Amino acid sequence: MTIQTETPLNPMATEDLQRLVEFAQLVTAGRDAMSDEIVTRLAGAMSEGLTLLDRLTRNEGLMHLLKVLDRQETQYLLVALSDAIHAASQEIPAAPPATGGLACMMRVARDPGTQEGLRLLSVFGKHLSHSMREQHRHGG
Amino acid sequence: MRILVVGGGTGGTIVANNLARRLSGEIRARKVRITLLSASDKHMYQPGLLYVAFGQMTPDQLYRDEASLLEGSIDFHVDPVKKFELDQNKVVTVSGKVHDYDILVIATGSRIVPEDIPGMAKGADTFYTEASAVKMFKRLREIQEGTVAVVVGVPHKCPIAPVELVFGLHDYFKARGIRDKIKIKYHYPIGRIHTIKEVATWAKPEFDRMGIEYETLFNVSEVDAENKVVHSEEGTETQYEMLIAIPPHRGMEVIEQNNLGEGGWIPTDRFKLTMTDHDNVYVLGDTTNLPVSKTGSAAHFEAEVVSENIASIIKIGTPVRDYDGKVYCFIETGHDSATYAMFNYQNPPDLKPPSKPMHWFKMAYNQMYWTSVRGLL
Repeated sequence: MTIQTETPLNPMATEDLQRLVEFAQLVTAGRDAMSDEIVTRLAGAMSEGLTLLDRLTRNEGLMHLLKVLDRQETQYLLVALSDAIHAASQEIPAAPPATGGLACMMRVARDPGTQEGLRLLSVFGKHLSHSMREQHRHGG
Repeated sequence: MRILVVGGGTGGTIVANNLARRLSGEIRARKVRITLLSASDKHMYQPGLLYVAFGQMTPDQLYRDEASLLEGSIDFHVDPVKKFELDQNKVVTVSGKVHDYDILVIATGSRIVPEDIPGMAKGADTFYTEASAVKMFKRLREIQEGTVAVVVGVPHKCPIAPVELVFGLHDYFKARGIRDKIKIKYHYPIGRIHTIKEVATWAKPEFDRMGIEYETLFNVSEVDAENKVVHSEEGTETQYEMLIAIPPHRGMEVIEQNNLGEGGWIPTDRFKLTMTDHDNVYVLGDTTNLPVSKTGSAAHFEAEVVSENIASIIKIGTPVRDYDGKVYCFIETGHDSATYAMFNYQNPPDLKPPSKPMHWFKMAYNQMYWTSVRGLL
């Protein structure tokens, strides 16, 4: 008479096997759900996305802009700019229409806000033209 | 340094983009200028034509504007070359403009010449142009029974195309439920069913499994379109209901007219990819006379070598790489499975069993191609 002995499966191994089966089921489900159309659309989006990313990362102007945007003072400027846009969008509709004429022009020119604005634009223009001249001199 | 690229297909576009990236500093400093001359403002994904012939793609999906694929620093003109004056380092275009160069890259491609075989242009369908691929699909939809014969002319572009076509026909008629009424008969010009021995060994049992009839040593001599019979130089013939031909190819007419190479194929150094006796002229893609497949992948790998060498010559005065003959071909083994063949001068292909993921890889590549010609992949 022979006695058959059963070796009980290690519970950890059973669990691992179960996980493998679940993973295989997941892969099979994904594979069954795929179609040529889905693969084509995904690949098309990836292709265009990769091209866009490449263009953005090789755009020196954009990269420089990102560097400048990292500076604290630029962020202050952006906050100031957005505040100014918000304030202007509220102030302009409420302001009475301009009357026109030389007297009106004089009144606007005497306004310290106008002078500050002109000074800002003038400083900005000076630095912009200097930077453009430098870049053209060094070939970009 | 003036680099002139002639041809806006896969090879020409990749080489121009790759050079523009590698030499961006030199271009900005105005030390290098890259000009690309093409015959068309459109770029076609040529492998897609086989999908059009089976109704799996529409022609509009095969095209992009060439300018949209090129780096902004490339000077692009739709003005094909009429005359090559290699001894004077210049070319003359159809519009009459003269382009001088220091380095010239010729990537003009190849063309089908069904007219070389009497009756083929009239009697056979093909899929090598947009119009013929659409016409072939319409014919496939109409046919209900009879023999569909496939004949192959040499040399031809994409060596895998004949077997892919046969696998596609089998699946197409099976899907229509008329496979038992259609006899597919494949004819090949040499003594086995494919020029690449390993592909022939792999494809034969596949043909047997699918019930494809085949006749080897069948070089088409004439197509009798009236009586629907195709004759071979070996003296055999096949009666058909529909005839599909892989027509013989030649290099472009401008290459033949300028006596740059017999049959339009330019004699090319197999490692350096320079034209024989012209060290500043590079040749790539279908235009070479190299013993490698005329495929987009060969043009791609050659373009990488050529652009790397031109860039290194400009930067350090010497080329750095040799072309090893690398070719990578997807093989669609029907409408939902595929495999691939990769080989070079030293190593023959080792074909793997077809699978669905490989088919999806090919589907994905049909889209990723546009990233590839931009020089990103």
